[in-house]
Amino acid sequence: MASKSRLLKEARECAKAPADLGISLQPDERNIHTWRGHIRGPSGTPFEGGTFELTLSVPQNYPLFPPSVRFKTKIFHPNVHFKTGEICLDILKGAWTPAWTLLAVCQAISALMADPAPDSPLNCDAGNLLRGGDLRGYASMARCYTLDLASAPARQLS
Amino acid sequence: MADAEAMEVEQAEQPVAKGKGRGRGAKGDKDGEGKGKSGKRFEIKKWSAVAMWSWAICTDTCAICRNNLYEPSIEYQANPTGDTDHPGLSIAWGVCGHVFHLDCIQRWLKTRSACPLCNKEWEFAKIEKILPTGTMGE
Ligand SMILES: [Zn+2]
Ligand SMILES: [Zn+2]
Repeated sequence: MASKSRLLKEARECAKAPADLGISLQPDERNIHTWRGHIRGPSGTPFEGGTFELTLSVPQNYPLFPPSVRFKTKIFHPNVHFKTGEICLDILKGAWTPAWTLLAVCQAISALMADPAPDSPLNCDAGNLLRGGDLRGYASMARCYTLDLASAPARQLS
Repeated sequence: MADAEAMEVEQAEQPVAKGKGRGRGAKGDKDGEGKGKSGKRFEIKKWSAVAMWSWAICTDTCAICRNNLYEPSIEYQANPTGDTDHPGLSIAWGVCGHVFHLDCIQRWLKTRSACPLCNKEWEFAKIEKILPTGTMGE
């Protein structure tokens, strides 16, 4: 099946990705349709210093359809569901095109971390803080969770 | 920092933005008019910019299967039929100027009839075979 060969190709590209990207991404050893990614919290954001794990499940008809991606590490962000890790990002839904790769998806998620879109919140608390203009409140909450839940790289990277 | 980034994206993004209706981009947004909506559109453009960028590294590559455009599509390679009329052995240009393997774009068009790279309505401009008959090696 073609999705498999494209995924193998992407796996090779990911292995070559520069370290300063702040993203590592690799398929499960036994299942090329399940990937695990780690995003370094972008600097200058409340997530700096944290490492955030993602799981990507890739459908059989990839790349015609998008992967489904969730945060495994809890994160306080308006576009991420705090409990399930579900991400609200247009390219993972209607705006998907096969020109995206799994690595580029992770880059977009990293950009989303730095630049939240509070108008379509999955986390209302975070969305309300931002929409109300309480940047400081948002940053300190997000920071607090980052220190608490995302700052144990040994555990995260196992 | 947000501003510098915004400008960059706005530039990288020009081709994609068109499909979504021109209107104002990040620049027109500064004075706060139409804040909510154009703010969102700006986000959308930003993600697209990442895709454009990651694709731009290798323009000889079919953005759907990521094989070289001088080679058969990944689908054909996985299942070579030897049939020289196989769509995996042809490449197709859209009127937008983007190129894909014929079978790759045909499969995508069943999902959405827009170019995967620029999001414009897809219309075939021309189709050509990749290789002269015989060089396929089974
Ligand atoms: Zn192709
Ligand atoms: Zn195009």
